[in-house]
Amino acid sequence: MFSTRSTRSSRRRPTAGLALTAALALTATACGDDGSGSGGDKGAEGSGTGRITFWDNNGGVRTDIWKEIIADFEKKNPDIKVKYVSIPAESVQSKYDTAIQGGGLPDVGGVGAAMLAGIAAQGALEPLDKRLDGGPLAEKLSSSMVENVRAAGGGKELFTVPTSANNGTLWYRTDLFEAAGLDAPTTWPKFYEAAEKLTDKDDNKFGYTIRGGEGSIAQALDATYGQSGIASFWDGDKTTVNDPKNVEALEKYVALYKKSTPSADVNNDFKKMVAQWDSGDIGMLSHNLGSYQDHLKALGEGKFRGLPNPTTATGTRVQLSNPVDGLGLFKSSKKKAAAWKFIEYAASHEANSKWNESAGAIPSNTEAAKDKWVQDSEPTRLAAEALNDGDVKIVQLPYYLPDWNTISKADNEPNFQKVLLGRMSAKDFLDTLAEQLNEAQAEWKKRQQ
Amino acid sequence: MITKDAEAPTVTSAPRTVLEAFGPRRPKKRQRSWDEVPRRQIYLPLGVYLVFTLIPFYWIALFALRPAGSTSLVPWPVTFEHFDKVWTERSFGTYFQNSVLIGVATLVMTTVVALAGGYALARFDFRLKRGFMLALLCSQFVPGALLLVPLFEIFANLEMINSLGSVIIAETVFQLPLSMILIGNFIKNVPPSLEEAAWVDGCSRFRAFCVVVLPLLRPGLIAVGSFAFVHSWNHFLFALMFLSDQGKQTIPVGLNTLMSADSVDLGALAAGGIVAAVPVVIVFAFIQKWLITGFSAGAVKG
Repeated sequence: MFSTRSTRSSRRRPTAGLALTAALALTATACGDDGSGSGGDKGAEGSGTGRITFWDNNGGVRTDIWKEIIADFEKKNPDIKVKYVSIPAESVQSKYDTAIQGGGLPDVGGVGAAMLAGIAAQGALEPLDKRLDGGPLAEKLSSSMVENVRAAGGGKELFTVPTSANNGTLWYRTDLFEAAGLDAPTTWPKFYEAAEKLTDKDDNKFGYTIRGGEGSIAQALDATYGQSGIASFWDGDKTTVNDPKNVEALEKYVALYKKSTPSADVNNDFKKMVAQWDSGDIGMLSHNLGSYQDHLKALGEGKFRGLPNPTTATGTRVQLSNPVDGLGLFKSSKKKAAAWKFIEYAASHEANSKWNESAGAIPSNTEAAKDKWVQDSEPTRLAAEALNDGDVKIVQLPYYLPDWNTISKADNEPNFQKVLLGRMSAKDFLDTLAEQLNEAQAEWKKRQQ
Repeated sequence: MITKDAEAPTVTSAPRTVLEAFGPRRPKKRQRSWDEVPRRQIYLPLGVYLVFTLIPFYWIALFALRPAGSTSLVPWPVTFEHFDKVWTERSFGTYFQNSVLIGVATLVMTTVVALAGGYALARFDFRLKRGFMLALLCSQFVPGALLLVPLFEIFANLEMINSLGSVIIAETVFQLPLSMILIGNFIKNVPPSLEEAAWVDGCSRFRAFCVVVLPLLRPGLIAVGSFAFVHSWNHFLFALMFLSDQGKQTIPVGLNTLMSADSVDLGALAAGGIVAAVPVVIVFAFIQKWLITGFSAGAVKG
C-alpha cells in the first residue's frame, strides 16, 4: 500500500492547482443575482424607474405577445425596463415556492387563482386595493373577476389584478355532427345522444374524449354540477359534491368511458386529450378556450365549434368557476412604483385586449371585452356571454383553501381513474372528496377566526 | 459421494460414484455456437423489439416533419417549419449553446475531481474510509428536489443565482459520488507496481499517474464523462430554479415552455425533442464501445 504522507513539494502541486482552479471557477461564475428578495422582505417603493423583473406564469406559447406588450410599455415609459422571464406553466408553483423560501422573487409575477391562496398565505404578495382604487383601472375591471381573485386570496384583500378568465368549453366537430344528422350539443341529453351516435369502435371513431389523467377532477365536477343543476359548492359548512344528485350525474358521465370514449383516456391529460381530438375522429372534447388556436391549426376554420357547457333539459346552465389569471406585485420588490405601472399597463384596454385576443381568453378590462375581436371569435363571445348572463349559475370552487390543489390533484386524481376503471364507485369517490373538503374548510375557517 | 468396496477383487468393476451406479452417462448435449443458430431466431425477436422501440421515435419525427394540422401517417410533404420555429422564434439556438456549455463544463469538472477522489479511495487507507464510502453511496438516494431550497440559498449568498456556474456546480456535486466510486474501482484494477516502477525511474506521483495510470483509464473516463454530460444535458430542475434569464436557459426548460397551461404546440415540441436528442445520440454512437467496456469493467470490483 502506498504511503499516505509525502513531503515532496511536487506532490502538493496538483492539489494546490486543483484548489486554485476551483476557486477561480467559483469566482468567474459569480455573476450576481437579480437584486430581488425572498418572501419575508418588505421591499421598497423605489423611484418609479429602473429595471423590473416579470415572471410569466404561462411562459412559452404566450412569450411573443408578452414581449410585444413589454415593448409597447417601454416605449411609453422609457425610464422603466422590464426583464421578461418565461416560466413553464407546470413548474411555476415550485419556482415561486423556492423563491419565497430562498429569495429571488420577481417584482411582478403572473399568479393564477388556483395557486393564489398558497402564495398569499406565505405573505409574499402586496395587497393591491389601495393602489387600484386610486388609479385608472378603478372602474374598468370586470367586477366578477375581481371578486373571484379576492375570494381566491382569502376574501379580504386583493392580491392580484385580474387579466383574463377562461371558461369551460365543449368543442365539437361540426362536420361529424352534420354527417350524422345531429343537433349541436347544447343540452346534456343531446350531448349523450351525440356521444353514442358518433361512436363506431370498429372504425376507431368515438363520440367523446374524457379526461382521466392530470386535471381530471375539475372537468368531472363541471359535468357533474352541470347535469345535477346544484348551483353552490357549499351547503353551510358541508360541501355539496356528494349530494345524491351529483352522484347520479357522475355515474352517468363516467359510464361514457370505453362506451363512447377511447380506453386510453384513463391517462389523458389536456395535452393528450387535445392532440387526439385534433388528429382523430372524435366528436366532442371538453376543455377551455385556451386550446382554440390548436384546434384552428389542426382542423381549420368551419370544422368545429366551441360552446359553453350544455344546459340541463330544462335550460338551466350551471358551470364551475374557472381560475382567473392575474398579475401580482411581490412584497419583496424594491421598485414597487415601477412594477405597479407595468401592472396597470398590462391590464389596460390596449394591452389586455391584445393579450386576450392572442390567447382567445375573456378580457378582464371591460372596455377590452367590447372589442370587435371578441364579437368575431364565437367561442370567446359565447363564453363571455355565458359568464355575464344572469341566468347562468356559477359554482365557485374553493380556490382559497390552501389544500385545494392537493385535494383536487394528488389526492383524488388516482381515485377518479379507479372510478373510470370500475374499481371504485362514484359515490365512494365523491364521499372521500367531500370528507377531505369539509376538513380543509373547517381548518381554514378556524384559521380565519 | 464416492463408494469404495475394500473387499472387491477389482476396483474397476465396481461403480465409482452414485451416478455411475444408475447406469451409463448420457452423452452431454453439445452447445450450439452462435454461427449455428438460424438467423431468423436472432433477427425476428430483435426486429420486433426494434420496431417496438422505434415507434415513439417515428412518432416524434412524424410530428416534427409534417405540416401543422396534417393527420398523415407519413411525414409528407416534409416541412422544416417546426425546426425553424424552435431554433429562431423559441430561442433553441441559445438554449442549445447553454446546454452544451453546462454539459461540457460538468463533464470536465466531474471527471477531474472524480479522478482525484477516486485515486485517493483506491490507493490510500485513511480513517473512516468505509464510512466515507457509505456516505457517498447514501448520497445517491437523496433526491435533488429535496436540496433545492438549501442550494438556492447557498448560491444566492454566493451571488451566483442566474449564473450558469450555479447549475454547473450543482450538477457536478450530484454526479461526483457515483463517478468517484466508479473511477476508484478502475484505478484499483491498475496494479500499483506499475506506478512504483515509474517512481523508481524518477517520476513524481503525479507524473506517474499521468503517464502510467491515466492512459489505462480511458474506458472509465469515457463512461464517467458521458454519464455526467448526458445527465446534465437532460436535467431540468436546477436550470429552472437557478436560472431566470431567458438567455441562460437550457434545452429541457425550453422544451417545457412549449407547453402552456391550456395549449401545446406538438410540432414545435417534437422538433425541440429532436434537437435535444440528436447530440446525445451522436455522442453515444461514437463512444458506445468504450462506454460498455467502461461500465462493465468498473462494476466487477468493489
